[in-house]
Amino acid sequence: MKIIRTNPFSLNRVSDFDEWFRHPLAGLPSLSTLINNLGEVFPGVAGDKLAVDVHEDKDNYFASFEVPGVKKEDVKIELNNGMLTVAAEKREKDGEKESSYSLTRSVSVPEGVNAEAIAAKLEDGILTVTLPKQERTKPRTIALS
Amino acid sequence: MNTTCSPSTCTPATSGVTESLRKPLYNINGNAEAYEIRVELPGVPKSNVKLDLEENILTVRGERSTTVPEGMKALHRELSPLSYLLRLRLNAPVSEDQMTAKLEDGVLTVRLPLKEVAKPRQIPVL
Repeated sequence: MKIIRTNPFSLNRVSDFDEWFRHPLAGLPSLSTLINNLGEVFPGVAGDKLAVDVHEDKDNYFASFEVPGVKKEDVKIELNNGMLTVAAEKREKDGEKESSYSLTRSVSVPEGVNAEAIAAKLEDGILTVTLPKQERTKPRTIALS
Repeated sequence: MNTTCSPSTCTPATSGVTESLRKPLYNINGNAEAYEIRVELPGVPKSNVKLDLEENILTVRGERSTTVPEGMKALHRELSPLSYLLRLRLNAPVSEDQMTAKLEDGVLTVRLPLKEVAKPRQIPVL
Protein backbone atom coordinates (compact mmCIF):
# COMPACT_ATOMS: atom_id res chain seq x y z
CA MET A 1 0.00 0.00 0.00
CA LYS A 2 1.25 3.41 -0.91
CA ILE A 3 0.89 6.05 1.74
CA ILE A 4 0.92 9.69 0.78
CA ARG A 5 2.95 11.52 3.36
CA THR A 6 1.00 14.42 4.68
CA ASN A 7 2.02 15.63 8.06
CA PRO A 8 -0.77 17.38 9.90
CA PHE A 9 1.72 18.99 12.25
CA SER A 10 3.97 20.52 9.64
CA LEU A 11 1.38 22.86 8.11
CA ASN A 12 2.32 26.46 7.92
CA ARG A 13 -0.56 27.66 10.01
CA VAL A 14 -1.64 31.10 9.00
CA SER A 15 -4.78 31.25 11.10
CA ASP A 16 -7.14 29.04 13.01
CA PHE A 17 -9.39 29.00 10.03
CA ASP A 18 -6.63 27.64 7.86
CA GLU A 19 -5.85 25.02 10.40
CA TRP A 20 -9.44 23.92 10.48
CA PHE A 21 -9.76 24.01 6.75
CA ARG A 22 -6.57 22.27 5.88
CA HIS A 23 -6.59 19.42 8.31
CA PRO A 24 -5.79 16.34 6.26
CA LEU A 25 -8.73 14.37 7.61
CA ALA A 26 -11.10 17.09 6.56
CA GLY A 27 -10.45 16.36 2.93
CA LEU A 28 -9.48 18.91 0.37
CA PRO A 29 -12.32 21.04 -0.97
CA SER A 30 -11.05 20.68 -4.50
CA LEU A 31 -11.03 16.93 -4.14
CA SER A 32 -14.59 16.74 -2.87
CA THR A 33 -15.66 18.96 -5.75
CA LEU A 34 -13.91 16.60 -8.10
CA ILE A 35 -15.66 13.62 -6.56
CA ASN A 36 -19.03 15.32 -6.79
CA ASN A 37 -18.39 16.30 -10.39
CA LEU A 38 -17.38 12.78 -11.24
CA GLY A 39 -20.75 11.68 -9.99
CA GLU A 40 -22.41 14.03 -12.43
CA VAL A 41 -20.35 12.86 -15.36
CA PHE A 42 -20.47 9.17 -14.54
CA PRO A 43 -23.64 8.46 -12.61
CA GLY A 44 -23.02 5.75 -10.10
CA VAL A 45 -19.36 6.61 -9.62
CA ALA A 46 -19.99 8.81 -6.66
CA GLY A 47 -23.10 10.01 -4.98
CA ASP A 48 -23.98 12.68 -2.50
CA LYS A 49 -21.32 13.72 -0.09
CA LEU A 50 -21.57 12.45 3.46
CA ALA A 51 -21.04 14.97 6.22
CA VAL A 52 -18.16 14.21 8.55
CA ASP A 53 -16.88 15.24 11.95
CA VAL A 54 -13.27 14.60 12.91
CA HIS A 55 -12.04 14.44 16.47
CA GLU A 56 -8.82 13.34 18.07
CA ASP A 57 -7.62 12.34 21.46
CA LYS A 58 -4.10 11.35 22.39
CA ASP A 59 -4.40 7.83 20.96
CA ASN A 60 -6.82 8.06 18.05
CA TYR A 61 -8.44 10.08 15.32
CA PHE A 62 -12.20 9.58 15.03
CA ALA A 63 -14.16 10.27 11.85
CA SER A 64 -17.95 10.26 12.32
CA PHE A 65 -20.39 10.08 9.42
CA GLU A 66 -24.15 10.54 9.57
CA VAL A 67 -25.82 7.58 7.87
CA PRO A 68 -29.40 7.24 9.16
CA GLY A 69 -31.28 4.25 7.80
CA VAL A 70 -28.18 2.56 6.44
CA LYS A 71 -27.58 -1.08 7.37
CA LYS A 72 -24.21 -2.40 8.42
CA GLU A 73 -23.96 -4.59 5.33
CA ASP A 74 -24.52 -1.56 3.07
CA VAL A 75 -21.47 0.31 4.32
CA LYS A 76 -18.12 0.00 2.57
CA ILE A 77 -14.97 1.45 4.01
CA GLU A 78 -11.79 1.47 1.98
CA LEU A 79 -8.29 2.70 2.60
CA ASN A 80 -6.35 3.34 -0.54
CA ASN A 81 -3.35 5.56 -1.17
CA GLY A 82 -3.78 7.30 2.13
CA MET A 83 -7.43 8.09 1.40
CA LEU A 84 -10.19 6.70 3.55
CA THR A 85 -13.37 6.33 1.53
CA VAL A 86 -16.75 5.58 3.03
CA ALA A 87 -19.60 4.54 0.75
CA ALA A 88 -23.06 3.98 2.16
CA GLU A 89 -25.95 2.58 0.20
CA LYS A 90 -29.26 3.84 1.46
CA ARG A 91 -32.34 1.79 0.66
CA GLU A 92 -35.74 3.31 1.11
CA LYS A 93 -39.12 1.73 0.90
CA ASP A 94 -41.82 4.03 -0.30
CA GLY A 95 -44.92 1.92 -0.11
CA GLU A 96 -44.37 -0.80 -2.66
CA LYS A 97 -41.48 0.87 -4.44
CA GLU A 98 -37.95 0.45 -3.21
CA SER A 99 -35.30 2.92 -4.14
CA SER A 100 -31.67 3.23 -3.21
CA TYR A 101 -28.97 5.81 -3.53
CA SER A 102 -25.39 6.01 -2.47
CA LEU A 103 -23.56 8.47 -0.29
CA THR A 104 -19.79 8.73 -0.32
CA ARG A 105 -17.02 10.69 1.28
CA SER A 106 -13.28 10.53 1.09
CA VAL A 107 -10.92 12.01 3.62
CA SER A 108 -7.16 11.84 3.55
CA VAL A 109 -5.57 10.01 6.43
CA PRO A 110 -2.74 11.83 8.19
CA GLU A 111 0.68 10.33 8.57
CA GLY A 112 1.22 8.23 11.63
CA VAL A 113 -2.01 6.28 11.55
CA ASN A 114 -1.76 2.57 12.12
CA ALA A 115 -3.64 1.44 9.01
CA GLU A 116 -3.89 -2.15 10.20
CA ALA A 117 -5.77 -1.16 13.33
CA ILE A 118 -8.48 1.05 11.79
CA ALA A 119 -11.86 0.01 13.15
CA ALA A 120 -15.44 1.09 12.53
CA LYS A 121 -18.76 0.82 14.27
CA LEU A 122 -22.30 1.76 13.36
CA GLU A 123 -24.59 2.98 16.10
CA ASP A 124 -27.84 4.97 16.00
CA GLY A 125 -27.22 5.98 12.41
CA ILE A 126 -23.70 7.28 13.07
CA LEU A 127 -20.71 5.51 11.58
CA THR A 128 -17.57 6.08 13.59
CA VAL A 129 -14.21 5.13 12.12
CA THR A 130 -11.41 4.95 14.66
CA LEU A 131 -7.91 5.56 13.31
CA PRO A 132 -5.33 4.72 15.95
CA LYS A 133 -2.17 6.77 16.02
CA GLN A 134 1.08 4.92 15.92
CA GLU A 135 3.15 4.96 19.06
CA ARG A 136 5.67 7.45 17.76
CA THR A 137 3.10 10.11 16.93
CA LYS A 138 1.66 10.15 20.43
CA PRO A 139 2.88 13.03 22.53
CA ARG A 140 5.67 11.94 24.79
CA THR A 141 6.99 13.44 27.95
CA ILE A 142 10.73 13.55 28.03
CA ALA A 143 12.24 13.63 31.46
CA LEU A 144 15.13 15.97 32.07
CA SER A 145 18.10 14.27 33.52
CA MET B 1 -53.19 11.09 1.88
CA ASN B 2 -51.91 14.39 2.99
CA THR B 3 -50.54 15.71 6.22
CA THR B 4 -50.60 19.38 6.87
CA CYS B 5 -47.75 21.06 8.59
CA SER B 6 -48.39 24.73 9.06
CA PRO B 7 -45.50 26.98 10.05
CA SER B 8 -46.89 27.36 13.53
CA THR B 9 -46.79 23.62 14.15
CA CYS B 10 -43.40 22.99 12.62
CA THR B 11 -41.29 25.48 14.46
CA PRO B 12 -39.87 24.82 17.90
CA ALA B 13 -42.01 25.94 20.78
CA THR B 14 -40.67 29.13 22.25
CA SER B 15 -42.32 29.06 25.65
CA GLY B 16 -39.29 30.32 27.50
CA VAL B 17 -37.16 27.52 26.13
CA THR B 18 -33.82 28.71 24.88
CA GLU B 19 -32.43 25.42 23.59
CA SER B 20 -31.81 25.25 19.86
CA LEU B 21 -33.59 22.60 17.90
CA ARG B 22 -33.85 21.65 14.29
CA LYS B 23 -36.42 19.87 12.20
CA PRO B 24 -35.35 16.38 11.17
CA LEU B 25 -35.82 14.97 7.69
CA TYR B 26 -38.96 12.89 7.48
CA ASN B 27 -41.37 11.33 5.08
CA ILE B 28 -44.91 10.14 5.36
CA ASN B 29 -46.62 7.27 3.67
CA GLY B 30 -50.19 6.35 4.08
CA ASN B 31 -52.82 3.96 2.92
CA ALA B 32 -56.41 3.24 3.90
CA GLU B 33 -55.28 1.63 7.14
CA ALA B 34 -52.54 3.77 8.62
CA TYR B 35 -50.01 6.52 8.36
CA GLU B 36 -46.37 5.58 8.45
CA ILE B 37 -43.95 8.32 9.35
CA ARG B 38 -40.20 7.86 9.05
CA VAL B 39 -38.04 10.39 10.83
CA GLU B 40 -34.26 10.51 10.49
CA LEU B 41 -32.68 10.91 13.91
CA PRO B 42 -28.99 10.06 13.53
CA GLY B 43 -27.08 10.19 16.78
CA VAL B 44 -30.15 9.77 18.96
CA PRO B 45 -30.25 6.69 21.19
CA LYS B 46 -33.60 5.03 21.93
CA SER B 47 -33.73 6.42 25.45
CA ASN B 48 -33.55 9.98 24.09
CA VAL B 49 -36.59 9.78 21.82
CA LYS B 50 -39.86 11.25 23.09
CA LEU B 51 -43.00 10.68 21.14
CA ASP B 52 -46.26 12.29 22.00
CA LEU B 53 -49.68 12.58 20.43
CA GLU B 54 -51.94 15.23 21.82
CA GLU B 55 -55.11 16.42 20.22
CA ASN B 56 -54.10 15.79 16.63
CA ILE B 57 -50.52 16.93 16.91
CA LEU B 58 -47.74 14.40 16.84
CA THR B 59 -44.54 15.57 18.47
CA VAL B 60 -41.22 13.81 18.03
CA ARG B 61 -38.27 14.94 20.08
CA GLY B 62 -34.84 13.44 19.78
CA GLU B 63 -31.92 14.49 21.86
CA ARG B 64 -28.53 13.80 20.37
CA SER B 65 -26.17 12.07 22.69
CA THR B 66 -23.08 14.11 23.30
CA THR B 67 -20.60 12.20 21.24
CA VAL B 68 -17.50 14.04 22.30
CA PRO B 69 -16.03 12.59 25.47
CA GLU B 70 -13.70 14.66 27.55
CA GLY B 71 -10.16 15.00 26.33
CA MET B 72 -11.23 14.87 22.71
CA LYS B 73 -10.48 17.72 20.40
CA ALA B 74 -12.64 18.63 17.42
CA LEU B 75 -10.55 19.02 14.27
CA HIS B 76 -13.32 19.40 11.75
CA ARG B 77 -17.06 19.75 12.21
CA GLU B 78 -19.85 19.35 9.72
CA LEU B 79 -22.47 17.49 11.73
CA SER B 80 -24.86 19.62 13.73
CA PRO B 81 -24.96 18.86 17.44
CA LEU B 82 -28.50 20.25 17.71
CA SER B 83 -31.34 18.06 18.90
CA TYR B 84 -34.43 17.39 16.82
CA LEU B 85 -38.02 18.51 17.08
CA LEU B 86 -40.78 17.60 14.67
CA ARG B 87 -44.42 18.53 15.10
CA LEU B 88 -47.01 17.33 12.67
CA ARG B 89 -50.69 18.12 12.59
CA LEU B 90 -52.60 15.04 11.57
CA ASN B 91 -55.65 15.54 9.42
CA ALA B 92 -57.40 12.27 10.29
CA PRO B 93 -58.27 10.63 13.60
CA VAL B 94 -55.84 7.88 14.59
CA SER B 95 -56.09 5.12 17.18
CA GLU B 96 -53.67 6.34 19.81
CA ASP B 97 -53.63 3.07 21.71
CA GLN B 98 -52.53 1.19 18.60
CA MET B 99 -49.76 3.57 17.71
CA THR B 100 -46.39 1.82 17.40
CA ALA B 101 -42.89 3.15 17.02
CA LYS B 102 -39.46 1.68 16.52
CA LEU B 103 -36.00 3.14 16.24
CA GLU B 104 -33.59 1.39 13.95
CA ASP B 105 -30.25 2.61 12.56
CA GLY B 106 -31.08 6.17 13.49
CA VAL B 107 -34.50 6.15 11.82
CA LEU B 108 -37.70 6.34 13.83
CA THR B 109 -40.70 4.68 12.21
CA VAL B 110 -44.08 5.59 13.66
CA ARG B 111 -47.18 3.73 12.60
CA LEU B 112 -50.46 5.46 13.26
CA PRO B 113 -53.48 3.27 12.50
CA LEU B 114 -56.50 5.24 11.39
CA LYS B 115 -59.71 5.09 13.37
CA GLU B 116 -62.56 3.22 11.78
CA VAL B 117 -64.41 6.45 11.02
CA ALA B 118 -61.49 7.69 8.93
CA LYS B 119 -61.18 4.60 6.78
CA PRO B 120 -62.72 4.60 3.33
CA ARG B 121 -65.93 2.68 3.08
CA GLN B 122 -67.57 0.93 0.21
CA ILE B 123 -71.21 1.77 -0.04
CA PRO B 124 -73.17 -0.85 -1.89
CA VAL B 125 -75.69 0.35 -4.42
CA LEU B 126 -78.98 -1.31 -3.83
